[in-house]
Amino acid sequence: MTDTALNPGGAPRSEAAMNAWRSREFLMRLGLYLFLSALTIVVLFPILWMASSSFKPQSELFARDMTLLPVDWTLASYIAVWQGTSFPSYFFNSFKIAVASTALSVIVGMYAAYAIARIKFRGRYAFGMLLLIAQMFPQIMLVIPLFIVVQKAGLLNTHIALIVCYAAFALPFTVWMMRGFFETIPEELEDAAAVDGAGILTTFHKIILPLAGPGLAAVTIFAFIRSWNEFLFALVFLQSRTMFTMPIGLASFQEEYTFRWDLIMAGAGIITLPILFFFLLMQKFIVAGLLGGAVKG
Amino acid sequence: MLVQQRKRMAFWLILPTLLLIVAFKIAPIAEGVVVSFQAQSMMRPNPDAFVGWTHYKRAIFEEGVFGAALWRTIVWTVGSVVGAYIVGLSIALLLNRQFAGRAIFRALFLVPWVIPEVATALLWKWAYGDEFGVINFLLMRLGVLDTPILFLSSPGAAMASVIVVQIWKLYPIMFITLLAALQSVPRELHESAEIDGATVWQRFVYVTFPYIRPTSVIITLLAAIWTFQNFDIIYLLTGGGPADATKILPTLVYEKGFWGLELGYASAISLLMLLCLTVLSVSYLFVYRAQREET
Repeated sequence: MTDTALNPGGAPRSEAAMNAWRSREFLMRLGLYLFLSALTIVVLFPILWMASSSFKPQSELFARDMTLLPVDWTLASYIAVWQGTSFPSYFFNSFKIAVASTALSVIVGMYAAYAIARIKFRGRYAFGMLLLIAQMFPQIMLVIPLFIVVQKAGLLNTHIALIVCYAAFALPFTVWMMRGFFETIPEELEDAAAVDGAGILTTFHKIILPLAGPGLAAVTIFAFIRSWNEFLFALVFLQSRTMFTMPIGLASFQEEYTFRWDLIMAGAGIITLPILFFFLLMQKFIVAGLLGGAVKG
Repeated sequence: MLVQQRKRMAFWLILPTLLLIVAFKIAPIAEGVVVSFQAQSMMRPNPDAFVGWTHYKRAIFEEGVFGAALWRTIVWTVGSVVGAYIVGLSIALLLNRQFAGRAIFRALFLVPWVIPEVATALLWKWAYGDEFGVINFLLMRLGVLDTPILFLSSPGAAMASVIVVQIWKLYPIMFITLLAALQSVPRELHESAEIDGATVWQRFVYVTFPYIRPTSVIITLLAAIWTFQNFDIIYLLTGGGPADATKILPTLVYEKGFWGLELGYASAISLLMLLCLTVLSVSYLFVYRAQREET
């Protein structure tokens, strides 16, 4: 791999100049790595600090002298939050809602995405615009009328209201992203199937879906993360503790357990960990999906 | 298959999506407009009573809460977006070269973007603390400070502190989009500019920037729209306080609607907010267009 950016004149010709160029090149590389590593640590410091705090005993959390890493590593905070509070119920509520709403939005959205990717129907452009515009409306504005409707329907403090809302809110992005993935699949594959007499749905299920696997996975993870993280609607729609999702359950710790930063940090760790795991696992596809396949390497 | 049949099929394929979006994103807007002209106070009987422009007048003139919150929302939005753009662009420029391990750094710099808002707010709150916060501890250790800064509880510092958190949350999306845009800049242009003796800064301004300008405009506009309406971060960090120092429009809407239980009034404020957001977005694009035609 040659790096023209660092050496625009091309490689020098003489042996001595070549060596000088190599060592200069090496130092610049080293400098870049050191700088990037330092920058990464600074930028991610709040997360590292959260992780470190969650493994400290309470005495160390409130010590005069802080240490970067725990002196006594302990899982006490995690055990306390899992056994001494309602956190497990928040966790399972969040999980249930995220799975249901993700499934709903991905299943509903993939057909719409396929239609706008492949079929030239009237109103296709308008539908695409509607999806974009729907993304722009402030949540805080929608939450008031939706609250009134949900209240009238007697669905306040239920999970079903949240599941459908989350699915609807994830849809524009789901459809938009999946359309991009479907468009990268060669159309000839479908033409062949059509010649054999397969209908649209059969073609879609048998040929397109299996090929769209990675894209579908990225979209699914996206929708899941969104629903897992959502705060405002859960805050407004849910009222009793047994129904709380993790984000509002954790936020309520601030009043319920004042100064119990051990519980809060462990809780924050638990809510973050699955997301971080999924993200790092799938980051390549997620990034590609975000940018319509523009990023490589 | 017949073209007509395919088209009819398309209708059935998009129908469920269309219904969900209309029901949960479009219809509520209309409902919100209706509600903003109704009493809709949970403390009074007859919530559907028509009250005309009462809520709007009250928000703009009588209580005067709207103007102040709008100004704070603009400060919050501009501060966050400009900050995130600078940070995001700097990191994108650093990573815009080939080297082993680039993908790892790219993934790590994206991490703040996926951290749940509630965790983001709480971990920053913990770091910002005056007595046991690590930021104050480090600053005092390094001799920068004698007494701890009340990052979130002094009116003078609170807005800057919440903006830092929003920058942290927002820069990854800027960085990744700008990195993609940077890859469209032709290498040869850079090389010839360098041979012609252009400095690094000149090369950035005259070679690189024109290529990333369209992307920059779009991504800053989107980031501004997201930040303008962002509720979670400020609600969780300061709740709009201290002394209203961070009370932006979404916080105000929530406060009036769900603490004050005046949904009609809150809905009127949220519609004014949408109006301002639309006007600001459109004029931003307008200025960009006008500028582009000049050059």
